[in-house]
Amino acid sequence: MAGLRHRFELFWVLFVASIKMFVRNRLALFFSLFLPLVIMLIFGVLNFEGSTSVELGIVDEAQTDASRALVGTIEGIETFDVTSGERDSEMAALEEGEREMVLVVPSGWGTGPEFAELTAYAAAGAQQDAQIGSLILNSVVLRFFAGATDLPATPVNVETVNARELGYIDFLVPGILGLTIMQLGLFGVAFSFVQLKRTGALRRLFATPTPPGYFLAGQIASRLILGLAQIGILLGIGMAFGLNLVGSLAVLLGVALLGAVIFLGMGFAVAGWAKNEDQAAPVTNIISLPMMFLSGTFFPREAMPEFLRGVTEYMPLTYLNHALRSIANEGAGPADISGDLLGMGIWAVIAFVAAVRLFSWE
Amino acid sequence: MTEQAFRPRVGTGAPVLVARDLRKRYGSLQAVDGVSFEVPEGEVFGILGPNGAGKTTTLEMIEGMRPIDSGSATVDGVDVARDPRGVKARIGIQLQASAFFDELTLVELLEMFGHLYGVACDPARLLADVELTEKARAKVPTLSGGQKQRFSIASALVNDPRVLFLDEPTTGLDPQARRHLWGLIRQIRDRGHTVVLTTHYMEEAEELCDRVAIMDGGRIVALDSPQRLIDDLVARGFRKARVERLANLEDVFIDLTGHELREGE
Repeated sequence: MAGLRHRFELFWVLFVASIKMFVRNRLALFFSLFLPLVIMLIFGVLNFEGSTSVELGIVDEAQTDASRALVGTIEGIETFDVTSGERDSEMAALEEGEREMVLVVPSGWGTGPEFAELTAYAAAGAQQDAQIGSLILNSVVLRFFAGATDLPATPVNVETVNARELGYIDFLVPGILGLTIMQLGLFGVAFSFVQLKRTGALRRLFATPTPPGYFLAGQIASRLILGLAQIGILLGIGMAFGLNLVGSLAVLLGVALLGAVIFLGMGFAVAGWAKNEDQAAPVTNIISLPMMFLSGTFFPREAMPEFLRGVTEYMPLTYLNHALRSIANEGAGPADISGDLLGMGIWAVIAFVAAVRLFSWE
Repeated sequence: MTEQAFRPRVGTGAPVLVARDLRKRYGSLQAVDGVSFEVPEGEVFGILGPNGAGKTTTLEMIEGMRPIDSGSATVDGVDVARDPRGVKARIGIQLQASAFFDELTLVELLEMFGHLYGVACDPARLLADVELTEKARAKVPTLSGGQKQRFSIASALVNDPRVLFLDEPTTGLDPQARRHLWGLIRQIRDRGHTVVLTTHYMEEAEELCDRVAIMDGGRIVALDSPQRLIDDLVARGFRKARVERLANLEDVFIDLTGHELREGE
């Protein structure tokens, strides 16, 4: 009677019921899904005007009449916001995200009779700007050598460089992803579950011969699926606002899943301990509010005073946000974020143990 | 117009529910202190008693909802301590605070309960049985008190239970809704279900129950048919200070406002 198929059917029925309950509950929907979306749209719109010019660094190592003439021409183009400097400092600025492209004019360029290739480095995270920049640079150089023979179609060789992200949207989206995962786990579970506990709806389930674990599994699975859907929506909207996802989507989702385990565990721990919503509300807020503002969700943690940075370094959302941002902005793989993964792993164990110890059905 | 519906219809079959010396202690409080009774098949059995007498705890132990300290309970031959799920599969439970998932419709809830009991169920028929057909697509928070109780009973009938447990089914209902629910409980009995209910209303116990157990301080202090309990009291020389009137205020209320259900609350 309790065959595998029957078990899966039970799980599926409760999973579907759980999805329906969540989607039809406007309050839960608002706080866990809609609110992060609104925050992102607002910040996305605010950010929109900044990305019209291309931040271009020029390293003139030739210092010839020809090279100076070329630099002068490029400086006259409105699309470029040109800074000149040494190769090391300009490349560092590129990696820091202060430049979107760096054009290097190598020494000896323009001294001989033959044409020499130019190299431009583009930040991996600023592909749109880099494309526009290389188009313009190529056409400038082609015009500069108008009349010369044997010119390649693209005299500027563009190399992509892994660089820290430029736009605020690139900083914001991973933070919003982390925030969403936290809200979905903490608020999405704690409140709905405590409500079911208080009203007695859970007791009615125990009156049936189905073990309550199926209901729990359906609840957890529904939150994970909704979380994935939300991540997809946020990434899609982020990309519409110019987000560049450098890293692997699979690694990103894996880290998101680990984060979900932490916050679902915390949600169930609160739901298990609290007897009603009035007890659950302050505790969930005490847990979530400091992280929302101090874990680098909306602004870099570098902007915070030293002592706060030290204290907040070990918060679960700090690890999650940092890991998500490293993947999205720098293309980090699991090995690059092993410190974050370790921190999250420890938090996942803590949350799981707390959930098991504190959880009660009544 | 009192409906004196006493039926000398004591158990027609073998006992379907047997409780033996049930005990439950909460800290220093002995909530249930040696409760034994049997309920034959087809009976409506009432458990009466003041608040804190141990009625609900007794029911919850028999239903497999609460661990038993000592003693035993069997339903349809299944021992609840050994096989609580076997008992749950054979009974229907209407809890005192009956809440459901607010976001699901009545039909969706009944279908879900069908799966939870592992039975094929027909939500339309169950809703028709409790006169909620037109509320099939409604959600529980939009129902009136009486409708909620009726839906709660429908959800307890999903698995065609041998014994239906009703914990204070009419508390908080107006007289019309209460009478309507009495009719429904009689219909359920007539369809062959054994019913065990708790109530604070003596009139309700007289109307519905073939036998009642009166509990106080965690013990059963009397167990018999309502009529026999009354006869015993009178035989011991009890007389009411005032002779029973031919009608009471509730009769006046029902006479003036009718039996028609009011669900517009």
